[in-house]
Amino acid sequence: MIRLRLRQAPGLRLDLRGLTPAALAGLDAAAIERLPLAQGRHALPLAEFFDVTAEGDGDTLVFEGDLSRCDRIGWQMAAGRIVVEGPVGDHAGAGMTAGVLQVQGDAGLLAACEMAGGELRIDGNVGDFAASAQPGSLDGMRGGSLVVRGNAGARCGDRMRRGTVLVFGDAGDFLASRMVAGSIALGGSAGAHVGYGMRRGSLVFAGAAPTVAATFVPAISEAPVIWQLLARDLARHGGPFAALPSRRVQRHLGDLAAGGKGELLIVH
Amino acid sequence: MNDAHNSVVIDDTFAEAFPMKATRLLITAHNITWARHAAVSATGFATSVIACGCEAGIERELSPDETPDGRPGVSVLLFSMSGKELIKQIERRVGQCVLTCPTTAVFAGISDGEAVPLGKNLRFFGDGWQTSKVIAGVRYWRVPVMDGEFVAQETTAVTKAVGGGNLLLLARDTDAALAVAEAAVAAMQRLRNVIMPFPGGVVRSGSKVGSKYPALMASTNDAFCPGLYGLVAKSELTPETRCVMEIVIDGLTEADVAAAMRAGLAAGIAFGAARGLLRISAGNYGGKLGPYLFHLHKLMEAA
Repeated sequence: MIRLRLRQAPGLRLDLRGLTPAALAGLDAAAIERLPLAQGRHALPLAEFFDVTAEGDGDTLVFEGDLSRCDRIGWQMAAGRIVVEGPVGDHAGAGMTAGVLQVQGDAGLLAACEMAGGELRIDGNVGDFAASAQPGSLDGMRGGSLVVRGNAGARCGDRMRRGTVLVFGDAGDFLASRMVAGSIALGGSAGAHVGYGMRRGSLVFAGAAPTVAATFVPAISEAPVIWQLLARDLARHGGPFAALPSRRVQRHLGDLAAGGKGELLIVH
Repeated sequence: MNDAHNSVVIDDTFAEAFPMKATRLLITAHNITWARHAAVSATGFATSVIACGCEAGIERELSPDETPDGRPGVSVLLFSMSGKELIKQIERRVGQCVLTCPTTAVFAGISDGEAVPLGKNLRFFGDGWQTSKVIAGVRYWRVPVMDGEFVAQETTAVTKAVGGGNLLLLARDTDAALAVAEAAVAAMQRLRNVIMPFPGGVVRSGSKVGSKYPALMASTNDAFCPGLYGLVAKSELTPETRCVMEIVIDGLTEADVAAAMRAGLAAGIAFGAARGLLRISAGNYGGKLGPYLFHLHKLMEAA
């Protein structure tokens, strides 16, 4: 296990891309301390910010401290496990393809954006554009799972095309806007304009029923088989999702402005 | 030895079985009746690979807590001589017999092995309205149909299997032959991983390799035909054995086939010579064609 303790919050934002368990494997503490970290236009040695302790050869990387000004933690991570004992900045777990990233605090903007695999667990809240696309990119999250114990900001799942997002708390406006496909389950309440422009995909509302736009139509037929498959998978996460398999849903199909093959599953 | 086996003679011979490719499908429905309808239909006309393309049968019924979607279901096994043929049969049978059957859904019943299409191509029936859903890493296709939607897992797995295990039940008369065959099939049906593909699990037209007609690969097993007793050069029968039934077993492993044959032997012995089962034998081709040989005496010893 490698432990990086942030001595104090950096004055400027700090880019932690490249600090993955795979990249640090085989390095001793001294080598890790010399790794360059980008801060603004400068590259500074990691030891300027972090105390490093390396023990054993495990594939776990632990960050300690208030990392809310540290961005791109777990960027394109492909294996192993990162635990952050505190909040993180923007782009947490962005582009990750495998492994586990656990944040024991809040995450900033664009968490899990363009994530393709693995699991990102955030015990606190996430900012706007979680599980969405990089600014300017056409495709958002495309695999893996994002589990948020707290609330999500606006535009959660924007342009998402595969994978699963669970938000135990509330979500901001434009949940799953322009969604291509995938599944999002919400335990709390949603803001305005859910599924705005969604083409396919499933939104599960385990808590309060959202305001459904006029571009969605209520389904007159049930989909009990796929609901059981989905509900049983979501139930593993417990909390507001634990009882889903035994509950019934009303489906709304849409967004008709974008083909209408998506669905809102509103749990009774 | 005869007394030990209720006076049923167990021939010192063996059944000869062949490698096959197999898959298991789980068919669920709104209730067990419709799951059964789909399973019966999908495993129909699948007695022998000679002309059916595959050998298929119902393995067992599934309670709601055993199925992926919490509905009652039926598990079926399909066996073919090649993976390619099996792929064709899966698609045809699921497309014509499960997709069409009210309220059904179909899932892979085996996860280990080469993935072959299940709902992958059937989805195009949806004419563009089909959607897929990836749940826990598994892709399912949802095809709109007139009773709602047909859900099919994208792929199922093909595994190596063993086909052609068999028992020949030599009985006193038709009544005894049918009764013991039914009892043996019932005993085998209690086991998992095996099917008995013939009608009711029983085949009366056992075959030998070759024929007097060059075009035919196989022909009637004249040595076991009571009507040819005294006519053919070498009959296996005696004047007491006037009706013979065969049970053919396909299983996922050699051990599964052996277990089913053992269950059949036990059922035959329990039936006993007093009620009309005189001998149990097995069909083989001299032991040179199939890699799996099931010696009846060895099966008895293992039991």
